[in-house]
Amino acid sequence: MTRDWWKHLILILGALVVIAPFYMMLSYSLKSPGEIDRGEGGFFGRQEMMIDERCVALRDPNRDEVASAAKRFPGLTDREIRDALITEAEADCAMRPAVFNYTMAFTEAPLLRYLLNGVIVTVSIFVIQVLVALPAAYALAKLRFWGREAVFSLVLFCLLIPVHAIALPLYIMLAKLGLTNTYAALVVPWTISVFGIFLMRQFFMTVPDDLIDAARMDGMTEFSIVWRVMLPTAVPALLAFAIFSVVAHWNDYFWPRIVVTGSRELFTPPLGLREFKGDGDGSFFGPMMATATVIVCPLIVAFLLAQKRFIEGITLSGMK
Amino acid sequence: MAVTEIPVAAPAARSVEASQRRTGWFLTAPAITLMGLILLGPVLVALVLSFTDYALGNSGFNWVGLENYEKLFTRSTYEKMFVATFTYVVTVVPLSVGLGLGAALLITSVGRFRDLYKTIYFLPVMATLLAMAIAWEFMLHPTIGMVNRTIEMGCGTFLEAIWPFMAQGCEGGFPLWLGDQRYAIWVVCFVGIWQGFGFNMVLYLAGLTSVHRELYHAAEMDGARSAWERFRLVTWPALGPTTVFVVTISCIRAFQVFDTIEAFWPQGAGPNKSAYVMMFAIFEKGVQQNLIGIGSAITVVFLGFVMFLTLIQRWLVERKVHYG
Amino acid sequence: MADLHIDGVVKSFGETQVLKGISLDIRHGEFIALVGPSGCGKSTLLRIIAGLESQSAGDIVIAGRSVAGVRAADRNLSMVFQSYALYPHLSVADNIAVPLRMRTMGAVQRLPLVGRWMPGAAERNREIDAEVRKAASTLEIETLLDRKPGQLSGGQRQRVALGRALVRDPAAFLLDEPLSNLDAKLRVQTRGEIAELHRRLGATFIYVTHDQVEAMTMSSRIAVMMEGQILQCDAPDLVYEDPEDIRVAEFIGSPKINILPAELNGGSLRVLDRDIARLTRVADQPGIRLGLRPEALRLSGADSVLTGVVAHHENLGSEVFAQIEVPGLSERVVLRADPSARRRLGLGATVGLDFDIGDALLFDTSGKRLRPVIEAARAAHQVA
Repeated sequence: MTRDWWKHLILILGALVVIAPFYMMLSYSLKSPGEIDRGEGGFFGRQEMMIDERCVALRDPNRDEVASAAKRFPGLTDREIRDALITEAEADCAMRPAVFNYTMAFTEAPLLRYLLNGVIVTVSIFVIQVLVALPAAYALAKLRFWGREAVFSLVLFCLLIPVHAIALPLYIMLAKLGLTNTYAALVVPWTISVFGIFLMRQFFMTVPDDLIDAARMDGMTEFSIVWRVMLPTAVPALLAFAIFSVVAHWNDYFWPRIVVTGSRELFTPPLGLREFKGDGDGSFFGPMMATATVIVCPLIVAFLLAQKRFIEGITLSGMK
Repeated sequence: MAVTEIPVAAPAARSVEASQRRTGWFLTAPAITLMGLILLGPVLVALVLSFTDYALGNSGFNWVGLENYEKLFTRSTYEKMFVATFTYVVTVVPLSVGLGLGAALLITSVGRFRDLYKTIYFLPVMATLLAMAIAWEFMLHPTIGMVNRTIEMGCGTFLEAIWPFMAQGCEGGFPLWLGDQRYAIWVVCFVGIWQGFGFNMVLYLAGLTSVHRELYHAAEMDGARSAWERFRLVTWPALGPTTVFVVTISCIRAFQVFDTIEAFWPQGAGPNKSAYVMMFAIFEKGVQQNLIGIGSAITVVFLGFVMFLTLIQRWLVERKVHYG
Repeated sequence: MADLHIDGVVKSFGETQVLKGISLDIRHGEFIALVGPSGCGKSTLLRIIAGLESQSAGDIVIAGRSVAGVRAADRNLSMVFQSYALYPHLSVADNIAVPLRMRTMGAVQRLPLVGRWMPGAAERNREIDAEVRKAASTLEIETLLDRKPGQLSGGQRQRVALGRALVRDPAAFLLDEPLSNLDAKLRVQTRGEIAELHRRLGATFIYVTHDQVEAMTMSSRIAVMMEGQILQCDAPDLVYEDPEDIRVAEFIGSPKINILPAELNGGSLRVLDRDIARLTRVADQPGIRLGLRPEALRLSGADSVLTGVVAHHENLGSEVFAQIEVPGLSERVVLRADPSARRRLGLGATVGLDFDIGDALLFDTSGKRLRPVIEAARAAHQVA
């Protein structure tokens, strides 16, 4: 420790730079606009009651309300009743900045909807990727058939093509089919994961042939071998691939930005955040950082809970 | 049918082969179809459209020959695009690989808190880049951002005397960062490095665990006295394959930079288009302005770069023969 | 002359002591085998000599100079590793040249590409090349010089590792189980070659192995280590014939020595309730043990000290080993016999075993060797 102090110093400085934006994001999501502007309040802010001006404005009493409230405030003038009502509204609209920021995040925009979309899209992508890649990988690894080498060369060639790079022609094709602004548009380009095929094939190559021959002797069809023998043996590789796939598509911004325009119903979390930023002004820093925190959190929390698996899953792409 | 043609000698063997052939094709058919439709098809479409003036909504198009490519290599907008893209790639790749390697070496060499450092450095890899780009935008806010506030603390101290940047800043205000053409692309590079080096670090950590410990002892016995000599003799050669992979994947990722730039400058890709990278150009020209011909030409050039890089990587990997 | 002294070396990992005060004097040109079961600390001792680990107490003296605090690179020792530890990216020639380059060329001269243009580098490179060729020809691996380690067989890699060790002139060669990764046949062959190499070079060899056959066949002295201590360090035949400790007797020799429980009462040695000899100058004690090598036993009549039933036999052609179940003994007694005795050793046959008390090794309760004067063999028996 004493000999290594300079190493720790460098590592800690690096860690501070890495953590800084996370710290700020979380801290701003808890603070009031005033505290953000003035840069005070430490990490949590003072959490003094603040009044939501818009909430008060919404409850600005009109003539009828003043009249109907007259019974509750006998002997007061209309003006005094009005002031009393506003004070009441202000009391109702007062809340802690942290509560305010997170409430705004969920009420100003359909954040829950975005999160749900995120889940729908990432899960569908992963499931379809497995349905397509697993049988192909099995066939490429374990079946002898004419043309297998050609198919595998095709896979190797397709590994050269990043889907983001061909976004434009894909967008045109989907537009021609009238599929933009649908879930299909978000999912379809990712249904084929050449990387997944390659990864599974490499994994299946290590599975002994005897296991498959035994299954055949037991009278299983090739189809049930894929799903009832190969799938369970491939669970570790699949888990790693799942992490790889989910992280990539939960965080993806470029593709949804291209094919989803206008309709909030289809927004994925990053798109939602982007829109939030687009129409917010300075006073919305708090709610916006709250939104960002909510979007970033699921993966970060999952990562912190299962670090080993995540790092394995992500580095798996390095084992090509 | 095929069954009747089978010679009597080996009916069982033949039928097994035939059924394997059928299942083989049957199981790979969905993947092959999708590869054709989703990956190869669009590459051809882009190639074809790059020679046309097609626009979505038009019923037809005209062949324009190499006009789109000519624009690409003559107009100043696209010159800016290439400059910005290469500046980004040439900055981010070496630095994120170097920092990844450095962090991995430091982390393996310290005794304590290894896992803590590893976890922290990996956080940006997991986080939604768009959200973190917005967070960085706040950090870099000229007046209320954490970065300038932190630097301001140095005003009035000795730092002002020894660091011209500090003196200037305290005098006339600190940089606008995102609003300043001189800094814009470098800020984007910084965020790219910030986000990517943890990934490289993890790959290097994996690479380091596979270096045989006895090799270090052998190097010591052979007279490699300094840590640097042992690194040159054992570590660096052993990390060769990892380095090739890390550099390639960092390159491909760097070419695809988009989220940060869109988050910082939704309209113009930086002051005076100083961060107008290829992906942003494809998005702006092809999708927003419906100039599909030129967008496709950029796509084709882009694919050319990426494929070239990957082919170099494969060639390097296949050349190396090591034992475990 | 590069004598090597190990002086009271102690090594502890936290609470556990893996080396409990080892002392050993090695003369120049000796071939010392450190032998013992796994975990006895022999590899740790070798690594401490090498300077790859530091001792908790004690000292190592090489050629009259204490090397405490001197790092491995500066101790002028060569080491052959169990995994050979060849640099996978370097050719065989470059692998062998590494120790010379590291020691005799400056950092600048070793730089890739530019280094060779530095003053003196070309000449140095030629000298190194010549020395590499010399080492390669000694080991008959000249034809492999351009290959990478990945293209070599296990035996070839082993030779390259040896070449890298002998290309310079070290004070001693340290070998850490260098044969354990070879197949049985190659192991026997290489064994002979290493012994011959030692004779030719006349250098000091310190050889760590868990295989007592390797130790017996190659070394000038064997140091038998157990539980962090050297139990005995002597020439191979002495260690075999005259072990100081029952654990040494049990470890060296294959098949294992037979151990019979015995007691000493009034100067009379009793085995299986029979007096077999009178001993003097030894105090009476109950739990002594009698060690008998399989070749010390011979077949005899029914009225012998040991009588039992043949439970298993192995015919190796030139000799026969039989395992005999003797009532009253927990372990089978192993007998080495001439193939001509094969007929008498059929499974289930009852045989009597006899021995000369002079061939028996006596150990006291704690396992230390007893060296009594034997007055009369079978005295009690004959009197009765």
